[in-house]
Amino acid sequence: MGNRGYLRTQEIFAMALIIISIKLTDSTPSLLAQKGQNGFWLIPILSFALILPGFLLMIYLLKKYENKNLIELFESILGQWFGKLIGFILFLFAFFAMTLDSRNYVEQIKLLYFPETPSDLIFIIFFGIVFFGAKKGIEVIGFTSWISFFVLNFFTFLIIVLIWGDIVVERIYPIFGSGLDHLLNQGYQKAAMFSEIFFFLIAYQAAKQTEMFRKGIVIAFTYGFFLIILFYFIYVSVFDYNSIQKLAFPFHDITQYVNFGSFFTNIETIFMIFWLIAAYLKFMILLYAAGWIFGTIFNIQNFDPVLLPLAFLVVTIGLMPFNSIMNELVLRETLFMIMSPFFIFLPFLLWGIALMKGDLRK
Amino acid sequence: MNLLKALFFLIPLLLLFGCYDRIELEQQSYVMAIGIDTTDQENQYLFTFEIANPEVGSATAQGGEGEPPAEIVSVIGTDILTATYTANSVVAKKITLDHTKIIVASEEIARSDKFLSVIQSASRSPQIRRAVELVVSKEPAEDFIRNNEPTMEKRPHKFYNFMLSRAAQTGIIPQATLHRFFQITEGDADVFLAVYATTEQSKEKERGYEDNYIAGEIPQIGGSPTQFMGSAVFKEGKMIDILNGEETRFAHILDKTHDMDTFLATIPDPLQPEYRVSYNYAQKNKPQINIDYQKGKTAKIKVDVEYQVEIIGIQSLINYSQIQKYRKILKENITNRLEEKAKQLVKKSQEQYSTDPFYWSLYVRKHFKDVPSYEEADWNKNIYPNAEVEITFKLDKLEFGKMFDDSNVSEVRD
Repeated sequence: MGNRGYLRTQEIFAMALIIISIKLTDSTPSLLAQKGQNGFWLIPILSFALILPGFLLMIYLLKKYENKNLIELFESILGQWFGKLIGFILFLFAFFAMTLDSRNYVEQIKLLYFPETPSDLIFIIFFGIVFFGAKKGIEVIGFTSWISFFVLNFFTFLIIVLIWGDIVVERIYPIFGSGLDHLLNQGYQKAAMFSEIFFFLIAYQAAKQTEMFRKGIVIAFTYGFFLIILFYFIYVSVFDYNSIQKLAFPFHDITQYVNFGSFFTNIETIFMIFWLIAAYLKFMILLYAAGWIFGTIFNIQNFDPVLLPLAFLVVTIGLMPFNSIMNELVLRETLFMIMSPFFIFLPFLLWGIALMKGDLRK
Repeated sequence: MNLLKALFFLIPLLLLFGCYDRIELEQQSYVMAIGIDTTDQENQYLFTFEIANPEVGSATAQGGEGEPPAEIVSVIGTDILTATYTANSVVAKKITLDHTKIIVASEEIARSDKFLSVIQSASRSPQIRRAVELVVSKEPAEDFIRNNEPTMEKRPHKFYNFMLSRAAQTGIIPQATLHRFFQITEGDADVFLAVYATTEQSKEKERGYEDNYIAGEIPQIGGSPTQFMGSAVFKEGKMIDILNGEETRFAHILDKTHDMDTFLATIPDPLQPEYRVSYNYAQKNKPQINIDYQKGKTAKIKVDVEYQVEIIGIQSLINYSQIQKYRKILKENITNRLEEKAKQLVKKSQEQYSTDPFYWSLYVRKHFKDVPSYEEADWNKNIYPNAEVEITFKLDKLEFGKMFDDSNVSEVRD
């Protein structure tokens, strides 16, 4: 446990990539398609464009204020108490994003692979494993992510190859889906779909050199963004707009649909295993990051013991929404709407204050 | 000590957690085909499950001799999944739908308004895959499944698999997955083609050629009684018509989203119409479809099909291969005939269905900026029925097989 500074560019890259790009396998595409119809695959482009300047600005600030992680950066720019307050809001966001997301993943596992098992039990086991993984520390998670990177990529591209024949490109037309104004609006409201990348900034000091962290996270953000666009494009062109709105889990519908010739049918379990590895890693990273944020705010040097109560809270609160539709279409959507302006504007606020204080000139 | 206690409880939890959904292969019955029929009661349907017997026909199985290859059970229910539980009153094992290959709907239910709601429940369950094919049977689906007795491919999953994929390759039946059904039905612009099949011989068509039949009309001696031929036309989730094998082939030719291999067909010999010339039609490239659309004007649909032909039999023994003049006549004749048939089908679809079986609505979509304006323009009420359709077939290659010339009859008879 603990951070000895062994993480290099590739581990940072692999971790950041997993937390961003796993968005393509859950219900986020259906959430976007509710309002965007078949133009929904363009929404992430706008969201990306909105989030990117702020994100780069954060990286720049972190670089300027050496030896500080995200929360410490808030504190030195905004003053201790106000900085901690913003930090706490960030923690709440990370916590609720994790909770609502995890419910979504548990529903996927239950619905598709373990229909008889009670959700509670899947949730407990799932987060039990996530907790043990997170407890191992950021470096173990980083190495695991990097080891899985190639396998996960292989299976991601295997799906693309297998579904290729069913893509009908014309389905992306009418190009703006439900209308350009809807898309722009959604692109702004759902900008928080990239919020995980901000939570991950807490690990700024984890890499051997901070330059490695910057490089890894920027590459991962770009690559993850392209993967998301690619997959959303595939969903639109395979399912068409009226169907995509109805599917809760388009990724799993695709893995159920594809086959290797007529002899090897029903092959979704192969993909399920690797998807599950990615899902575990995602929540390990998020749980660890949430614990880290919490630890920094309350000056807990060794925040390890925080992870267990956090994991417990995630399970308890995650089980509260009445069903997955409510969880996805109401709660998660609301969370996105609250988080989006926060992540778009916060970096500029920080930058402005830092500029006025004259901190950036040294 | 506390840690030990905790482990004592935690380890079994981890190990036994998977047991909730544990089910042995032996305890499951795999359904291969599901039949849907109407009953006297409103909103109650007769579901027929054809359950494969895994012990028949596999090389390794010891027992199971003398058992039939499939067990067929029919029960009444409101939807497919609940019916499987009712069927458990007869079937000893848990009924699993994961390996279902086809869903058979009787023509009666397919033509009713209820069809969409019955089939919709299939898509909600993760058990039924989107690759399941939709077949419409002329008789009640129950009779279809019971009468279907393949002579060679005894195992039902093999039979359906081979039968449907081969027939779809030759273009006489469409590829009709549930996936496509929902895309087209929910898209609400085009018509969907389902496989049409029957096990009942109707009045045989007296003068038919190789593909202008629908199932049940094909004169046949021996073999299994099941005929797959032609397609059932679904508009807005409701069956409205039947296309014969030939029309189904043209629907394939003109549709970019269908894959079709080569097929063999005949035309009347252009020089001696009492004979016929057989040819192998192949299409290397997908058809080019262009739609000119401007608001308020008639849409112009332009379709270019490039095809290749290999002549395989000339009954009249006329030397088409070497005499240029004859070759040209043959070439024009085939092209004209294809164009004429395609136009007939387009006309029929414009007048009778007021929408197209070719998924052409896809190509008009790029003229719209957003979905509301596209839906307002209304492909199937407004654009397509009034559109000018121009179909051009272009012969790319004309081959004559491995012979330069046929034997000369007058010399042989001499």
